[in-house]
Amino acid sequence: MSWPRVFAARVRGLVFRSRLDSQLEDELRFHLEMQAEDNVRIGMNPAEARYDAARRFGGMESVKEEYRQHRTFAAIETLFRDMRYAARTLGRNPAFTLVAVMTLALGIGVNAAVFTVTNAVLFKGFSYIERSDRILYMTSSEGCCVSYPDFEDWRAQAKSFEGMAIVHGVQVTLSDKGGFPEYRYATEVSADTFRLIGREPILGRDFTKSDEIPSAAPVAILNYSFWESRFGKDPSIVGRTVRINGAPATVVGVMPPGFIFPQNQDLWVPLVPTPNVLKRANRDTWFVFGRMADGVTIQSARAEMETIGRRLEQAYPLTNKGFPPVVRDFAGFYIGPNASVIYGSLWGAVGFVLLIACANLANLMLARALGRSREISVRMALGAGRWRVVRQLLIESLMLSALGGFFGWWIAKWGVRAWELASRSRGYSWFDHVLDYTLDYRVLVYLIAVSAGAALLFGLAPALRLSKLDVNATLKDGGRGSTGGAHGNRLSALLVVAEMALAVILLAGAGVMIRSYLNTYSADIGVQAVKILTGIPNLAASRYPDARARISFYDRLQTSLEAIPGVESVALASTIPMMGAARLSYALDGATPVDEQSRPALSAVTIGPGYFRTLGAAVLSGRDFNDADGFSAPRVAIVNQRFARRFWPGEDPLGKRFRLFSGNTPEAWLTVVGVVSNILQSDMARPELNSLVYLPWRQMAAGDMNVLVRTSVPPGSLRTTFRNEVHALYSDMPMFGPFTLIERLQTRYWDKARYAVLFLIFAGVALLLASVGLYAVIAYSVSRRTQEMGIRMALGAAARDMLSLVFREGMFPVGIGLAIGLAASLAVNRVLKAELVQVSPGDPVALAAASATLILAAVLGCLIPARRAMRVEPAVALRHD
Amino acid sequence: MKDEHSAKADVLQGTLVLLVLRTLEALGPLHGYGIARRIEQISKELLQLNQGTLYPALLRMEQEGWITSKWGASEKNRKAKFYSISSGGRKQLARETKDWERMRSTIDRFLGSIPETLGDEARSGTP
Repeated sequence: MSWPRVFAARVRGLVFRSRLDSQLEDELRFHLEMQAEDNVRIGMNPAEARYDAARRFGGMESVKEEYRQHRTFAAIETLFRDMRYAARTLGRNPAFTLVAVMTLALGIGVNAAVFTVTNAVLFKGFSYIERSDRILYMTSSEGCCVSYPDFEDWRAQAKSFEGMAIVHGVQVTLSDKGGFPEYRYATEVSADTFRLIGREPILGRDFTKSDEIPSAAPVAILNYSFWESRFGKDPSIVGRTVRINGAPATVVGVMPPGFIFPQNQDLWVPLVPTPNVLKRANRDTWFVFGRMADGVTIQSARAEMETIGRRLEQAYPLTNKGFPPVVRDFAGFYIGPNASVIYGSLWGAVGFVLLIACANLANLMLARALGRSREISVRMALGAGRWRVVRQLLIESLMLSALGGFFGWWIAKWGVRAWELASRSRGYSWFDHVLDYTLDYRVLVYLIAVSAGAALLFGLAPALRLSKLDVNATLKDGGRGSTGGAHGNRLSALLVVAEMALAVILLAGAGVMIRSYLNTYSADIGVQAVKILTGIPNLAASRYPDARARISFYDRLQTSLEAIPGVESVALASTIPMMGAARLSYALDGATPVDEQSRPALSAVTIGPGYFRTLGAAVLSGRDFNDADGFSAPRVAIVNQRFARRFWPGEDPLGKRFRLFSGNTPEAWLTVVGVVSNILQSDMARPELNSLVYLPWRQMAAGDMNVLVRTSVPPGSLRTTFRNEVHALYSDMPMFGPFTLIERLQTRYWDKARYAVLFLIFAGVALLLASVGLYAVIAYSVSRRTQEMGIRMALGAAARDMLSLVFREGMFPVGIGLAIGLAASLAVNRVLKAELVQVSPGDPVALAAASATLILAAVLGCLIPARRAMRVEPAVALRHD
Repeated sequence: MKDEHSAKADVLQGTLVLLVLRTLEALGPLHGYGIARRIEQISKELLQLNQGTLYPALLRMEQEGWITSKWGASEKNRKAKFYSISSGGRKQLARETKDWERMRSTIDRFLGSIPETLGDEARSGTP
């Protein structure tokens, strides 16, 4: 067979389908007319002639069918016809179609949205870096911070890297001739940073080694959008002098549009190793990154860095003990070590949502298909093959999921947009700026695959069930379509069980995430964070030149704030919990003297009396500070439990001594007078930064203090009063805040909150879909059993009996699903363990709340059909067909 | 999509192709009705042609390139589609004629060479 020619002819046939159709009609009509005319000529009457012509011709429709089959590709032709038929069927039942499409759109949409976010983090990575996957990020200990000498040792010793650079973010004041000084974000970087990233300035030059020398003339490279907004893209900017922190610096270059690294900053300046930067205890810089040499894997690079780290710990135990290098890839560094847990569980969650959507659809299709069993039987009786019937139903499923996918795309688009806006407006997750959340071809491919997969998942079972119909029985049954009803019911009950189990797992997961989030405030940080208001009055040096003036201001403010009704206590602190602490060089009493470069540092917070009471922390032994701890009194300190356990394990810390250094000069000895419960000043993951020393503010010349107010009324309601008291003391005093402590902590915990909220949203969607699914199944069952119910009521059953009949049918699969779901969630939640704060994966409160919510939703789902069942009129029902 | 139904049709169409090609070779361009009439006239009583099946067969032959079609005016000046044999069709006709001859002689040999008694023996030989 000359298949290319036939193929070409068939393609033509496909393209000119409708024209060829009418030509065939013409040709066949001509044939019949000719035959009829000939028949008349041999003596038949016209009616007889036409009849004979038709008889000789044979089955007109089957001829056309066969003709069409050969004219083009039969499969495509029937596909088109099946699609038209499916579209008509779906169009005839808009309510069903709407519910099905929306269900699918939700299921597919959340999947595509999570895929987009994951795609941005795990697959696209840092879009501005060449071969981003070859870059590793290094810190000493979890989270952040490297000291410059450590960085120099790493760079000198590590063979795994083509190069290494150090990065640090700072805020600078910037002024040029044209404008007022303003605050700008700058990033201090090693000179070869851009070379390692693989990007060059579009204007001017890159940094060079000589820019790093402490005596070199200061230079800066501008961010493109900053260049655009501040300098109107003036190309003569290169070579111009601006003042950075008051000192003149030359702009030497502009980076390409869109380029940011490692966050959304305005300019880059070289990181110059000044004597202060060169201290090994000063872990002030952000991180180090390196480009892996050819053939190096992240494992081998990590192993080498750990060896180097151990060497440094031995060489400099005072500064480096407990600060091993931590080596991470993009996702691990930007999202944290739990990236895979977080994203994995998000995938799991949306996967469950999709499964529930599919189960719903399967149920709807099944119910509808059984209702259509007469139609299908007729088609099969007329000779439609089983495959043809299955294919017809699958095409309907595919059309539904294609529509669902289309709307799902929009849901994903808007969902991701909302996520992006929420992430960026909060401003605390600095890495969000570097992520690229556009829906690219990968998302499209994923969406299509998910839609097609879903169609198979929910379409196949009903289609196969229906294709096994007993045609004779169904046709004899009078078309009520009850054949296979028992099987259908069992399958749909099974689907409801599965839906409920999945919904419980999601609800329980969201429950423990939320509990964990709430715990981060109280249990995790170690303070009772609600009902605290905090603000930072800004004391101008001109008006408050010395410690005496400042102390007097704070004393008067404290007195007037304490007099406000609704204020329980007032306290001062140099920083509030979770906002970091000062790092001060120190030496313990009895420690061997060391040189300045390798002197260790501790974390210290300067506080006033009543700080611990105000925050709801406890003084465990010894005493709190009091107003007598002033300049003339003996120098004292309070340590927290972590500090005591770390430096004096098994000993009584009270009476121990240590001293601080200013430069190389030792200050007076400090005596420990109290031990307090742990309050976090930094991430939980960095215990060494949370071994804290508290110093009395009257003995320390501190800067502006945070004023913390514990209230008995909602703290937000005292904002104006707080501000008024400050302005009563000095009318023009600027102030940061006042904010509630929760408001300030929220920004820190925003990241945890948003995942918890996301989980809750997914669980909510799952619950909605599952209860809609339950409703559909029960409503369908009630409508089919109307006659039975009518008989029962005619025989004396009460409305209450109908109610319990419906609820028994509805709640039974719910109960089983609940039991399975709870058991499974114990196992599933274990995956979340790394992310959970002081909540067990099987947290009874979360599980109970999840169960209660599910049961409530299920009852609602049953209630509407149950009410219909109660209102059944026996007389009407008995006539019901 | 191959099932028993189309396998049976193939056999029929094989003959039909031969008949159509032969008709067109002998009579020149003809419309579908003309071809059907001609086949019926020649084979009256022997071949009961379902006229309708002619059209799918014509389509396939055209797709194979054995015949060509053209819209033209019929003897009563009505619009009709005329089919004529192409050079490929003539080759195919020769091929099919040869095949048919060979088949016929094979069948003839079978019918002539097997006596009825042998058939009986063969039947009794198998349990």
